[in-house]
Amino acid sequence: MKNKRKIYKQLLAGPYLLWSIAFILIPLFMIVYYGLTTSDNTFTLRNIAQITTDENLKALGLALLLSFISTVICLILAYPLAMILTSFNVNQSSFVVLIFILPMWMNFLLRTLAWQNLLEKNGVVNTILNALHLPTLNIINTPYAIILGMVYNFLPFMVLPIYNVLSKIDKDVVHAAQDLGANSIQTFMRIILPLSVPGIISGITMVFVPALTTFVISDLLGGSKILLIGNVIEQEFKQGSNWHVGSGLSLVMMVFIIISMALIAKYDKEGEGSGF
Amino acid sequence: MKKFIQRFYLILILILLYSPIVTLIVLSFNNSKTRAKWGGFTVKWYASLFQNQDIMNALYTTLIIAFASAFLATIIGTAAAIGIQAMRKSVRTPIMAVTNIPMLNADIVTGISLMLLFVAIRFSLGFTTILFAHITFNIPYVILSVMPKLKQTNKATYEAALDLGASPIYAFFKVVFPDIFPGISSGFLLAFTMSLDDFIITHFTKGPGVDTLSTKIYGEVRKGIKPEMYALSTLLFVSVLLLLFVVNLSPSDKENKKVVKHRKQKQFIFRRLVPALLLLVLIGGGIFYGRSSNLTGKEQVIVYNWGEYMDPEVLDLFEEETGIQVVYEEFETNEIMYPKIQSGAIAYDVVCPSDYMIQRMIENNLLAELNYDNIPNAKNIGETYFIQSKQFDPENNFSIPYCWGTVGILYNKTMVEEPIDSWSVLWDEQYKDNILMQDSVRDAFGVTLKYLGYSLNSTDLDELEAAKKLLIEQKPLVQAYVIDQVRDKMIGNEAALGVIYSGEAIYTQWENENLEYVIPKEGSNVWIDSWVIPKNSKNKENAEAFINFLCRADIAKMNFDYITYSTPNDAARDLIEDEALKNSPIAFPPKEDLERCETFSFLGDENDALYNRLWREVKSN
Repeated sequence: MKNKRKIYKQLLAGPYLLWSIAFILIPLFMIVYYGLTTSDNTFTLRNIAQITTDENLKALGLALLLSFISTVICLILAYPLAMILTSFNVNQSSFVVLIFILPMWMNFLLRTLAWQNLLEKNGVVNTILNALHLPTLNIINTPYAIILGMVYNFLPFMVLPIYNVLSKIDKDVVHAAQDLGANSIQTFMRIILPLSVPGIISGITMVFVPALTTFVISDLLGGSKILLIGNVIEQEFKQGSNWHVGSGLSLVMMVFIIISMALIAKYDKEGEGSGF
Repeated sequence: MKKFIQRFYLILILILLYSPIVTLIVLSFNNSKTRAKWGGFTVKWYASLFQNQDIMNALYTTLIIAFASAFLATIIGTAAAIGIQAMRKSVRTPIMAVTNIPMLNADIVTGISLMLLFVAIRFSLGFTTILFAHITFNIPYVILSVMPKLKQTNKATYEAALDLGASPIYAFFKVVFPDIFPGISSGFLLAFTMSLDDFIITHFTKGPGVDTLSTKIYGEVRKGIKPEMYALSTLLFVSVLLLLFVVNLSPSDKENKKVVKHRKQKQFIFRRLVPALLLLVLIGGGIFYGRSSNLTGKEQVIVYNWGEYMDPEVLDLFEEETGIQVVYEEFETNEIMYPKIQSGAIAYDVVCPSDYMIQRMIENNLLAELNYDNIPNAKNIGETYFIQSKQFDPENNFSIPYCWGTVGILYNKTMVEEPIDSWSVLWDEQYKDNILMQDSVRDAFGVTLKYLGYSLNSTDLDELEAAKKLLIEQKPLVQAYVIDQVRDKMIGNEAALGVIYSGEAIYTQWENENLEYVIPKEGSNVWIDSWVIPKNSKNKENAEAFINFLCRADIAKMNFDYITYSTPNDAARDLIEDEALKNSPIAFPPKEDLERCETFSFLGDENDALYNRLWREVKSN
């Protein structure tokens, strides 16, 4: 009886499985096919080997570095934020959470373009700094501006999952810890933090990956002077119109994504272990 | 104190999140057309917004797709999450790995891979393909939002409900569903916003005539965002904000605590349903609107043009006079346009590529021969331009010139003391961080090769390596590599010098009188953008009627006034009343300037790859 129920339950995933085969796996296979063939359909590894050229390695390294820094900053900013949001009463907090999604209702390209206005040499920020006789901020067209853009664009993706998990933590568990004599640091380290690991993990995935693969942010805020792996692939597809090399490089990038997925899977297991 | 720190922190984050939004709102009241300059307060963009059918259509398409894809993704995704949760770990892990793919993969790869799929199964690109793509990348967001909630639900309560005689479905909706509802709703919201915000995937999976706000904005980036877009974003933003306030100020907040719990669910419904209903109204209106304007079975012509490269009124006039409906789509660079034509995924009727790309299209047998009997107005085009076109279209069989121009240096007279006549200024240390360079392979190398005294169609490896070395040397001096933004940045006094197309120069001078354009003495690039008809066009005669219409003197003049790119239409030039403009050395440079200039030609796929590789080496250095 119980098993039967379980099977029925599993069937619920059916439509999704079909969907994912048709629109995730098959298209992915086409990328693999393109990545491993030349334009006359013969097998080659040369497309993948393209990653070993100096400029592609550099672009990959920089992308990894910038997205790592952005993810760390997002986490540092988002965690206290999610805790503050959780401390509000329920009615207020869902309002506050929406406030964090709200910016996304303005178009992503427009918002990023607006940062240009803010950061430019004669931009808004520098005009204010000038008026206050403070030194000006010259980060536009540098990696710092790209990090800012990444943090700005992806912060909500870190806040929401962490908030989701934190708001679900049973207050009684926290109270029990306090009653048993834990101070607030102990309560945080031994109760709240371990319980929120699933949220942190999904936050990290939601920030790190788009940051690693972006090309629009680096284009708009880096003045196209800074080439990330996303830019390289985009150019192969759009400008070089060499889909084979672009696919090959995508395959390499996916290796890094799979590595991070594996790491995440490992920590998620621990997260489950400390959960219910 | 703790409360104060909390509030302070919250406010800091809000400033970070909202400063760009405030900027955009301010820009929507800016009387100047470019975002680089404050031209006084105005509300005129709000008025013109509602008359702009393109933007309104894009808005409705965006909302319909966002809503429909988020809705379907939420249903499929929530069911999937429950199903996956019930599976054995060994099955669950690979499925979750697959689920992660659309999220973890680069958007561009997802977009391209879906496009490859649609092209392979001959599913023509359009509204449906965008919808499928959006559902695909939305589902994982729903699953990942619901899964943590499911993990936290207490299985005992569900079992208890079943033991007490509830049916599984009843137990689910009474016990599990309320627990995971926050996950579902945040999943839906995430999906909705992701869809609303997506650009890249839409860009690759959309067909002609369908535009979301993102793709529309992207098309406009090249020549500057239309201020109506800022107005629209402001309206969208403010209405969502107001909605939130209205919903939150509902009286239930003040009720006593016991009722609150019961009220909570009601509130959730209130909070989510009301916006959803409003959206439905919008969507209903949108479908109605879209039907009335788009899906009529009239004669049509599908136009694929550069962004902001035609006066929209010209299109209206054409539709009025001929009864042929124009489906209009824009591209940003030749290199973006080419794969779309080559793949044949969309049957465009008339396209406007540049010289070297036309040559490539002819060589790859992608173009149809024009029937000049249907284009009598071609006689208005100056003979010299047809002769010039022979470089890439030897018999003038395939193309009719639309606009032409040169590449030169635009400089700000207040920032540059000496007169400028050479490309060498782009390597002058004193303008460090004040130089804007073109962000396209051929233009960047073209300029450098000319400076070195070589042909800009060079395929000599030594010459190209020398150019590459120079470009790397130049990089620390360059403020940014730009295509479209050079115009706004020069108007806003952001840089002293920029490499720019002559057509942009006239407009920048109207906006900022300190700017001056020069074609350097070493020579430069002279280019022509021409109309061609792809071989797979389904409405060739309509396409020819369209080209013929554009060659009419009064229409070409109208276009010239709007886009300020030099017209090859001699009859139109005669109609220009402003003598200064008619004889402008920028729009119509003297012969001796042009003699120093060269036209790009297509260098073959291998050399193309070589240029791209060298350019990447420059960029990554």
